[in-house]
Amino acid sequence: MSTQVQSQGALRTLLPYMRIYRARLALVLCLVITVVLIDLAQPYLVKEAIDRYLVVPNSNAEAIFWMAAGYLGMSLLSFGLTYYQDILLQYAGQAIVRSIRVDLFKHIQKLSLRYFDQHSAGSIITNVVNDTESINNFFTQFLPNTLRGCLSLILIMFFMLRLDIPIALYCFLLIPIVLIISLSLRRILSKTYREIRSRLSATIAFLAENLTGMAIVQIFNQEAKQQRKFDEKNKALLDATIFENRINVLLNNLTELVGDLGVAALVWFGGRAVIQGAVSFGVLYAFVGYVRRFFQPINIITQQFNVLQSSIVASERIARTLREQPEIRELQGASAPSVHGRVRFEQVSLAYRPGHPVLNKIQLAIQAGERVGFVGASGAGKSSLMNLVTRFYDVTAGAVVIDGKDVREWPLDALRQTVGIVQQDVTLFSGTIIDNIRFFREEIPAERVKEACRLIGAEPLILKQAKGYDTMLSERGSTLSAGERQLLSFARVLVFDPKILILDEATASLDSNTEAILQAAIHRVSQGRTLMVIAHRLSTVQEMDAIVVLDQGKIVETGNHHELLRRQGYYWRLHQSGILLEEAV
Amino acid sequence: MLSYIYRNRLVYSVAVIIIATSSLLSVLIPRVLGRFADRLQHGNLSIADTAGCAGVLILLGLGRVTAAWTGRTLSHRRGRILTYDLRRDLLQKWGTLSPAYYHGHSTGELLSHALSDVEVIREFATMGINQAAAGLTMLTAVLYMMVVHGDWRLTIVGLGPLFIIPVLVRYLGPKIRTQSTHCQEALGSMAQTVEEVIGGIRAVKAFGNERVVIGQFERKVDTIVAEKIRFVRNSSLFGALVPLMANLGFIGVLGYGGFLTITRVITLGDYVAFTLYIALLRNPLEHLGQVLNVIQRASASLNRISELMQVVPAVRDREGALLDRPLQGTLSVNGLTFRYPGTKRDVLTDISFHVKRGKTLGIIGPMGSGKTTLADLLLRLYDPPEGTVFIDGADILQYPLARLRQGMAYVPQDGFLFSTTLTENIGFSDEAPDPERVKNAARITAVYENIERFPEGFATEVGERGVRLSGGQKQRVAIARIIYKDAPIQILDDSLSAIDTNTERQILRNMGDKGRPKARLSCKDKKTTIIISHRLSSVQQADEILVLDDGRIVERGDHAGLIKAGGPYARLWQMQAGLTEEGSPGRPGLTDDEAFIPPGLTEGLAAMQAGLTEEVA
Repeated sequence: MSTQVQSQGALRTLLPYMRIYRARLALVLCLVITVVLIDLAQPYLVKEAIDRYLVVPNSNAEAIFWMAAGYLGMSLLSFGLTYYQDILLQYAGQAIVRSIRVDLFKHIQKLSLRYFDQHSAGSIITNVVNDTESINNFFTQFLPNTLRGCLSLILIMFFMLRLDIPIALYCFLLIPIVLIISLSLRRILSKTYREIRSRLSATIAFLAENLTGMAIVQIFNQEAKQQRKFDEKNKALLDATIFENRINVLLNNLTELVGDLGVAALVWFGGRAVIQGAVSFGVLYAFVGYVRRFFQPINIITQQFNVLQSSIVASERIARTLREQPEIRELQGASAPSVHGRVRFEQVSLAYRPGHPVLNKIQLAIQAGERVGFVGASGAGKSSLMNLVTRFYDVTAGAVVIDGKDVREWPLDALRQTVGIVQQDVTLFSGTIIDNIRFFREEIPAERVKEACRLIGAEPLILKQAKGYDTMLSERGSTLSAGERQLLSFARVLVFDPKILILDEATASLDSNTEAILQAAIHRVSQGRTLMVIAHRLSTVQEMDAIVVLDQGKIVETGNHHELLRRQGYYWRLHQSGILLEEAV
Repeated sequence: MLSYIYRNRLVYSVAVIIIATSSLLSVLIPRVLGRFADRLQHGNLSIADTAGCAGVLILLGLGRVTAAWTGRTLSHRRGRILTYDLRRDLLQKWGTLSPAYYHGHSTGELLSHALSDVEVIREFATMGINQAAAGLTMLTAVLYMMVVHGDWRLTIVGLGPLFIIPVLVRYLGPKIRTQSTHCQEALGSMAQTVEEVIGGIRAVKAFGNERVVIGQFERKVDTIVAEKIRFVRNSSLFGALVPLMANLGFIGVLGYGGFLTITRVITLGDYVAFTLYIALLRNPLEHLGQVLNVIQRASASLNRISELMQVVPAVRDREGALLDRPLQGTLSVNGLTFRYPGTKRDVLTDISFHVKRGKTLGIIGPMGSGKTTLADLLLRLYDPPEGTVFIDGADILQYPLARLRQGMAYVPQDGFLFSTTLTENIGFSDEAPDPERVKNAARITAVYENIERFPEGFATEVGERGVRLSGGQKQRVAIARIIYKDAPIQILDDSLSAIDTNTERQILRNMGDKGRPKARLSCKDKKTTIIISHRLSSVQQADEILVLDDGRIVERGDHAGLIKAGGPYARLWQMQAGLTEEGSPGRPGLTDDEAFIPPGLTEGLAAMQAGLTEEVA
């Protein structure tokens, strides 16, 4: 019960989009009716020809000629209308899908980070790409085919009844038979298709993995074993496809058979009626023609159930996404204060889930231009603290204050401009190096980008690339090493010039050359800025003006490196246990 | 490939004959109806006759459907088995090809052979043959019927427009296909944008780049709309033209046929039959056009696949007598100079060294110095020049590849793992991994406790390329893999980079580095070990260290000697070790990252999880 209400509700999300095009859609409907009528006229015409002009003693050649000419006209008209109706529907459908796509994407952009943490990237991508494509199919396949099919069926039944009612009723008995065959076989088929899809993807995934790791397979001499495993999956796929084919061909042929049996029955009943003079031969012929036309519409309609189903599921998912509200909202009339770079945490507590605090009454003041390192075991709360400064999440209690104003009272734009972040894992996009560094903001001149790269020491590595600054990064820059990506990220920071910089140090070791350049880059980039570093390297932490040591969401120690070591407290223990990567290697 | 069809010619002939029979039976039905109409018109039809006629129709219907099902499924089954065979053969072929080939072809490209090309060939071998048989038979039969029982002029008028249909399919078909591919590409491009934006949503939000990103998205969506409109113009045209042609044929029969009936050239029954023939032919003719297209696409795919099958593996066993004995572990390289085939620059120049059995060699050098190339050559993933690489005194080229693979174990730079369980990964070198041996290997590489803490322990699946493990864990599992294999020669290529030095020390010691085997496994025989790294801590304890730069050995010696020499090695040491407390005894290492990332979580959730698990690593 509830699922039905849900499905109706889901499709309802499409209504406002369709409303805009209702005139066009109505026109399409009319065109479809016309085209179907023209097509269904054929058996009727032959009937007329046979009964009126051919069989009777005075046959009328001229009348036949005019009939043919008339139908020629109608065919040409039908040709034009069919073409026009298809185009019209496609235009409307594409426009509708485009609006839905853009609205959905825009809405997703407004949502806060918690949404992205809770939903896998895969599901969001499916939502924007595949679900909208299903809606597309709703307009380009389901609507026209179902319309045409239902109309054909109704009109055929109408014509049949007009010809001769008793025979027509006999013919109608065929419909449920075909429907049952069609529906039950289709249910088996869709299950089989799903099975094939999953087996195919398993086979291909295995193949892909083996191709990528072929060197390992060869070195460990396991070609035979991998071949055997592949053959298993390959065979499973084979079995499924053979089964699917058998059912498919069965479906097609059973439908034809029912048609033939129908014609045979017509010959039996109708023949008797013609002999007894109850019905003319032309009428019988017309029935034969119409019975054969029964089955295509039924087939097409049953085919559309799958499309309808996936469209409903898709619009449900889209509706659900559109209902999500962004957590982080900008206050009305927010204004930015003058920017210096002072950060204060006032009794800050944070719990991602109620009852599970991650930060507990953090009290901390950072001066403008200060360099502060944050250390602690994994899970101590360092990243969470940073999430609050960038307002990726909001505090559960207390306040984060930047330059005297609560971050919640800052305009989001200004906040993003003031706080910059360099992540551990640098995200690069498909585009040139310049585009990536200025993050596709074309209003930032290329000169500024190059200047920043020079300052940060990234220019040599950029110039080594195929086209220098204009090199297109392939596969999101995965050909660059971790160190090189960090350098580009630093250059990006310089270009955007935030007053407060958050750095989440990479933990993987890099070759010493890159390390040295990175350390120099950190030093340069922190000039004139407030720097907050989640530190892993001894060399970084030694440079900091102050170190904040976190444990289980609380600050346990503060001071600089040497002070803290002397104290032989928590920090000293962390240091001893090697949790700080000792080598700057 | 056509040989495949020839090999199965019996099955295919039977299928073709059965399908042809089905078509013939189909063509008989209008004829029966036509006869029936004639007799009805002449009034010499009895009730019994109608029963007889109906009976014949039923038989014809059953006959043609049974034949169609049998014939089509027969040839489809053959075609699908062909698909199976082709894919199996492709993997077998790929198993023999060396890295040189894989560097030149992306995985995606190779997969499209196994996926699309194979499917196209199958389409030809099934749908192509079926439709050709059915369509040609039907066409011939109808032509015969129409000419013999009717009038050749009517045949031309009626069938003429229909013959345009295959021509339409032949010429518009490929164009529509190409358009369709463009639509797919546009969709794929949009998907890629979405993937990038969602994957990098932190960066987008941090920089407040939402507007820019939305603009990019809109442009992609507009492209999709434009491509689809272009596509629909062609496909709608096609979709409207085909019925038009069929209608023109019908009109011809309706008008001209009616005239001929009135002038008694043909009977009413023939007239009726002819209108039914026209209706019968429309689909087969469309399919014949499709067959023409399939033939074209299939021949292209066939070419690609046979080209692939004829590639000669670059690295293979030499002709003639081979040294078929197990490796002992003495490695010798003599004046090795190498460049990748087809390139102009030497990657290695005049490399010479000698490693006695059971000793350890360290190779140090920056990125691009040729370290990995050297490893590739030692493993014979590329053929070294003759007379340069010797194992146990004999040229490496004289050994059968199988022996070499048996005797060597390798940990690659990226620690590649397969998406199976930890047990299967560590025990990869065995048909059926031995669980005890797997556990021992894990102990030696200090990853045993981590694995035991996973919810499914050793049965945990590590995901594609081991994505569910942290960098350090992946590397340790990759090392466990070679420990399990227990080969006389081991090569580790930058395999400890994500592991902190404490644990690294522990692992190297466990592996019998100092000749003090601590493991419970049989590390009795010392292994010849080659450690390639950029981190000096990894090679510190080696018996000999080579310093590589730009393909040459610039320094060599043991650690103490190189430090005293004050050359590049010593400088590197100062840079790297300046911050380490030297000489500190090994402490029980807390490894760098204990997080096990269960499936489905994004990187962002790590922060959340940190809060939820309240774990202090």
